Amino acid sequence: MLISRRNLGIGLGAVAAGYALWPRRARWEQDVPAGRVALRYWEKWTGEEGAAMQRVVDRFNASQDRIFVVRLPVAETYSKAMVAIGGGDPPDLVGLFSWNVPYFAQSGALLPLDGLDQAAYPRAIWELLCHEGRAWVGVNTCYSLALYSNRAHLAEVGADPERPPRTLTELDAVAERLVRRDARGRLERAGFLQAVPNWWPYLWPLATGGRLFDDATHRVTCDTDACVAAYEWVSATAQRHGRLDSQGFARGFDRSNLSAADPFLSGQVSMIVQGPWMANVARSKAPDVDYVVSPMPVAESVYDPERPQGLLEADVIGIPRGCPHPEEALEFLAFTQRPDVQAQLCSDHCKPSPLVERPADFEANHPNPYVDVHERIVRSPAAAVLPRHRAWKSYSDLLVPAFERIWTGADPRTELAGVAARAQGLVDRSDAAHRAREARG
Amino acid sequence: MSARGELRTGLVWTAPFWIGFALFTAVPVALSIRYGFTQYDLIEDPLPVGGANYAEIAHDPVFWTALRNTGIFAACSVTLNTVVALALALLLEQKLRGRELVRALVFAPTLVPISAVAVGWLWLLKRDDGLVNTALGALGVAGPDWLGDADWALATLVLMSGWIVGAQVMVFTAALRDVPKSLLEAAAVDGATAWSRLWRITLPTISPAVAFNVIVSAIWALQVFALPLIMTRGGPQNSTLVLSMYVYQNAFQYGRMGYASALAWIQFALTCALTIAAVRFARRRVHTRVGAAG
Repeated sequence: MLISRRNLGIGLGAVAAGYALWPRRARWEQDVPAGRVALRYWEKWTGEEGAAMQRVVDRFNASQDRIFVVRLPVAETYSKAMVAIGGGDPPDLVGLFSWNVPYFAQSGALLPLDGLDQAAYPRAIWELLCHEGRAWVGVNTCYSLALYSNRAHLAEVGADPERPPRTLTELDAVAERLVRRDARGRLERAGFLQAVPNWWPYLWPLATGGRLFDDATHRVTCDTDACVAAYEWVSATAQRHGRLDSQGFARGFDRSNLSAADPFLSGQVSMIVQGPWMANVARSKAPDVDYVVSPMPVAESVYDPERPQGLLEADVIGIPRGCPHPEEALEFLAFTQRPDVQAQLCSDHCKPSPLVERPADFEANHPNPYVDVHERIVRSPAAAVLPRHRAWKSYSDLLVPAFERIWTGADPRTELAGVAARAQGLVDRSDAAHRAREARG
Repeated sequence: MSARGELRTGLVWTAPFWIGFALFTAVPVALSIRYGFTQYDLIEDPLPVGGANYAEIAHDPVFWTALRNTGIFAACSVTLNTVVALALALLLEQKLRGRELVRALVFAPTLVPISAVAVGWLWLLKRDDGLVNTALGALGVAGPDWLGDADWALATLVLMSGWIVGAQVMVFTAALRDVPKSLLEAAAVDGATAWSRLWRITLPTISPAVAFNVIVSAIWALQVFALPLIMTRGGPQNSTLVLSMYVYQNAFQYGRMGYASALAWIQFALTCALTIAAVRFARRRVHTRVGAAG
């Protein structure tokens, strides 16, 4: 008897449903050896930095036979992790930025790490791992920002290549001599521009002793005199270089930073504030560039050679709430906090160590010839961190257009007052909601 | 089969759509109405805040900037797209050599992913060594910093949007074939100029297609997202920040899902209001042929 059309349809439907529902391993865990607990680890790093983290993962996987970590590179990890956690399907481990910690911790998106040993971390690093007195993440390399100067360029204008500028006055004086213009009068080379790279428009108040936020009172302080003075210095730099010309010059590097066409490595900007990864890029993309690294120049009133100023931030690793294997995830996280593991990873990233204890030969064998400068900033009592508040991202996104408007001639005090008013509202609303939730229990 | 049986069969066969629509559209949309009246960050329980999100929007300068940018972009890009698409459709209706090739080329940008289009334009529009400014320089004109100058960036995005008109051209081309040749010939015999024939015969005849294109383009333009996100990230100075980007920032970068929901509903309400206004205007002004379907 021929099969009826109806029965054929039912049969095909059953086969399709069976295929769809048949249990099988997800693609990410297909290489996991049998019998091991597979952990999903979302990390933002790709390229050389991703490969370095993979070496840490491989070392852990080889060190025991119970757990197998699979590193998955994920762009914009923090927003995707929040959606995954909210949706009930989080990874076992997630790599974040330290400025994400207040938001994730306050939302209850991470498991607390009460077992972390505070004594293992320098003061400023410990601050980055904590929120409201409790540790929520482990550290996974850190960075401090410093001034990278092209030695040949400094020598060319009669400045001492062994003594890069230390104060804003010295910086401005040398930068002015380094400027080169083409026949049309357009910038061909700049000495120093705060807009190159345009990654941290919120950094400059550090140079004048200003702070963007008062952690104790939760007051936005970007409109204080010290902060206004910093942005007046920014505005004066733009004015000297030609506001629109220098803006266009700076934006031309938006997509070439940290490539072979990087403004500093290609010699188009002689001095630049950057992180330690610059050494990594320099050795692979422009090994012939001869540079020197020093702490960020600051105003004379702030300068103290024993207390170098600089922004300190860290990459961190946390365990999302609701993850499938929290105990195994904690085991991997503890492994990453070992001094020898961090030393290996930081060395591969050209970064300073985020731990108090380092292998004796850490600096001697480090591929970054100026890691000591970054280390000094990490351990400096004057090292500054970004505001520890969940509203920071929205606050910083207000500072970006304000910085751009100041660059093109807007009054710094007016711009910063506008940012402060809006950002304070965001902070207050966030705090009020937090208090209301706590009151509800 | 009885009417009830037909209905049941129809529902069974369309069930995958209804289930998907309910799960991924209707329920999230309904939830977003509720979230608009709460403070919600995806993890913690939504905290009711009444109309606070809407009150905050009224005093949020970034929202007003985004709304202004979205309005300018929509008005300019819809006008530009309609004019460019109509001009190309009229051109392609002429008996020209290589017409089919040109038609394919006009439609090609519609098939290219927007991210690839955006990256290509980024290189073309670079200030110092972009092809556009190099070409202008050869003519003795100093090109602006197309995407880096706050006075030019939004206009540049509008100009770029005029490049992706393949779908509109197709609609116009189909409509132009419905224009009665006899009417055009009679008008020509009576001495009507080409402009007069276009204005008095062609445009009124294809006015339903014009209305359709304007409404669809306006809805697209009011929701524009990928183009400014890739090209300018809303800068410089927020000059290209549009509403969809601001909704995205609040929802996924700032963890303010409640505020983002309120913003999205305002965007939806504005889009609806403009669409209804356009449809009403079209009803009064669009020429429809009675019994054309015959």
